[in-house]
Amino acid sequence: MPSICFYFQVHQPFRLKHYDCFKIGHDHSYEDERKNREILDRVSTKCYLVANRTLLSLIKRYKGKFRIAYSISGTAMEQMEMYRPDVLQSFQDLAATGCVEFLSETYYHSLSFLYSKGEFIRQVGKHKEKIEELFHQTPTVFRNTELIYNNEIANFVSELGFKGIACEGLDHILGYKSANFLYHPPQNNNIVCLLKNYKLSDDIAFRFSNKDWKEWPLTAPKFAHWVHQTAGNGETINLFMDYETFGEHQWPETGIFDFLSHLPQEIFKHGDFNFKTPSEVMAAYSTRGEYDVHNLSSWADIERDLSAWLGNSLQYDAMERIYSLEKKIKETNDEKVIDTWARLLTSDHFYYMCTKYWNDGDVHKYFSHYNTPYDAYINFMNVVTDLEHVLEVEYQPKEMQAATVMV
Amino acid sequence: MLGWEFPPLFSGGLGVATFGMVKALRNNVDIKLIIPSYSTSSSLSNVNIIGLNSIAAKELDMEQLRFNFEDLTSEVHRIPLSLSPYHYINEEIERNRLREETANFTSERTLEMIHTIFSDSNVYGFNVMHKVYLYTQLSEQIARSMEFDIIHAHDWITFAAGLRIKNSTGKPLVVHVHSLETDRAGEGIRNSIYHLEKEALGAADSVFSVSQFTKEQIVRHYGIDPSKIHVVHNGIDPGDMPRKSHELRDKYVVFLGRLTHQKGPEFLLETAEKVTKVYPRVKFVVAGTGDQFAHVLETSAYKKLGSKFIFAGFLSKAKVDELLSMADVYFMPSVSEPFGITALEAAQHHVPTVLSSQSGAAEVMKSSLKADFWDTDKYANYIYALLKYGPLNQQLSESAKAELDGLTWDHTAKKIYNVYQQLLTN
Repeated sequence: MPSICFYFQVHQPFRLKHYDCFKIGHDHSYEDERKNREILDRVSTKCYLVANRTLLSLIKRYKGKFRIAYSISGTAMEQMEMYRPDVLQSFQDLAATGCVEFLSETYYHSLSFLYSKGEFIRQVGKHKEKIEELFHQTPTVFRNTELIYNNEIANFVSELGFKGIACEGLDHILGYKSANFLYHPPQNNNIVCLLKNYKLSDDIAFRFSNKDWKEWPLTAPKFAHWVHQTAGNGETINLFMDYETFGEHQWPETGIFDFLSHLPQEIFKHGDFNFKTPSEVMAAYSTRGEYDVHNLSSWADIERDLSAWLGNSLQYDAMERIYSLEKKIKETNDEKVIDTWARLLTSDHFYYMCTKYWNDGDVHKYFSHYNTPYDAYINFMNVVTDLEHVLEVEYQPKEMQAATVMV
Repeated sequence: MLGWEFPPLFSGGLGVATFGMVKALRNNVDIKLIIPSYSTSSSLSNVNIIGLNSIAAKELDMEQLRFNFEDLTSEVHRIPLSLSPYHYINEEIERNRLREETANFTSERTLEMIHTIFSDSNVYGFNVMHKVYLYTQLSEQIARSMEFDIIHAHDWITFAAGLRIKNSTGKPLVVHVHSLETDRAGEGIRNSIYHLEKEALGAADSVFSVSQFTKEQIVRHYGIDPSKIHVVHNGIDPGDMPRKSHELRDKYVVFLGRLTHQKGPEFLLETAEKVTKVYPRVKFVVAGTGDQFAHVLETSAYKKLGSKFIFAGFLSKAKVDELLSMADVYFMPSVSEPFGITALEAAQHHVPTVLSSQSGAAEVMKSSLKADFWDTDKYANYIYALLKYGPLNQQLSESAKAELDGLTWDHTAKKIYNVYQQLLTN
């Protein structure tokens, strides 16, 4: 009995304000509160509230047979708490149905696994606490930022006690195997890999409104037909996508919400198919061999690698610079400073600096509030320079301050 | 082709552009180039270059010329001069002197006079209008005995000649705009040069503009039909320039260009003041001179920025290369810059650029940092970042250098050639 496993990614970064060199040393607030609030308002109206309402009514209509999962970054949850408690409430209403699973991720939606295991563990822990506090459940399945994945990450996360991990189903790794089964990392039976079916996921997330696509317009019956074709050759179809697909990337006028509300009834027309959350999929099916990924992969761009965040020397420089402050930051024992620093680890800041395809005015530009990747880098680095200054001036160890006075 | 600045004599981008273009075009086009001053040091094979400084009597109709030369003074009267930035000295004195001197010229003396006038190492100078007038007369005469298909005139100083030759031969005229009077003297200017430009732009069969920016200016200020204006960006010869280190511990921000209102010296000063506050270990090197020189010098002193500026004066090509090879940032805050070929030269020296958005170079250089000409906060932030963040400096200089591969004169020549073809088939 094959399952559809939906997981939606909900994330909002704390965007930085325009921070030029004249602010360094004088202005220690870095975020653009107005813009963050505006964007959350817009996305809430266009996406979160409408999609939550749609999904809640589906859950009610199918009396527990329609089931979904979310991963919500800590920075998104915090912004909802601050600016849109009504949106947070609508997620809590979904959680209360018992048909919704919440996944684990790094609190700050960061690439911390690559730079600091200590910080990674801290963020995963902080996120778990937040999920428990807001949704009263403890996540058991982990999804790393932007599905960044390899064997090492899976093994590490397994050590932390997670039972499952979401990742991209890469053709060149799968070979003749299908993403529609569960796998485990080489020599590790303690954790299950849930592979994204990128074709069917991206049909919804990216191609839905593309009029040049030969399958346009995509209707619920058509999509359900494709899903049904997998019968006999798969146990779970993992449809992983950004939640903002609904209403924000694909506008309501494209019919995306109609599509969503009609999908379950079309899927159910084939009696064998059902909906399950990631942990239910893992409970229902066993793994069918190894999924062996050495190089880091992700779900981004056509490369499905890390080049969107670590593709040029500016991104490496910014990333190394901010992580190099970790020790000093943590030595302050000041929660506020640690939080200020950690918010700068959010992957979006580095994504804005991506120069790949920049000239073609592509998707990266769509997601960035900067005119150019260079502006993104300069703004970020000015902020980091100020943070370094704050560390030096305000958090210098006592004995060093004394020494300075002596001199 | 009618040109004005040409190596080794030039004061701005026009000479560099004319030379680069002719060099790239000559393999496919038979070029006869008339310029005021020619030196064999800049000869090009396959190009017939006629310099008025060494024109032979047989190429001219001396009788006709003598008459014209006498006529020169009265013609000049018709051109009221509010010539910026090229003139500084009282026109009247020169005009009277010339009137007396030319009254009883023999043809030998006339030719000698022509050679002298065009041997001046300053191709503009106080008597630029005399030169323009004379250039127009002589070019028209020379063209009469020449075979050619297209007239290609560079900037206002040759436009009158282009118009005359078009009228007398009926050949198609292409005017090439490297700079407009509205750039040099301000948007609102409506002087005789403006009107000359307007007449030539209107009468021309096709117009080349060195940027989209300039094309828009031509449409806006001169009311020319945009469909006949072709954007032909300037190029640069491929090549790699070595970096040099300098002795000072300070970093160098280089400004290259005439110190005139057009080049934005006000904004240079304001930016320098802002940068030095947040990044004291910097020197602004100013290479070039002009009517704003004293003002810039005095203001920098008044603002206590004297130690932050190095005024290098007008530099030779070799000196410019040396300066750029040591520069950390190239800064071009022009109020209105049709192209700004120096920005490409800076990139060739691996120097990242901070450019005015009101420039043609900004259109083609993706990896430059751009701000509106008046936005000195933004300029300063960019310059600060390039001085402070090494990886940014390196990334931008590398990608700018890579961009130059697509900005060669061959590329420019190809576009020009295509328009020539169209004109000849129509």
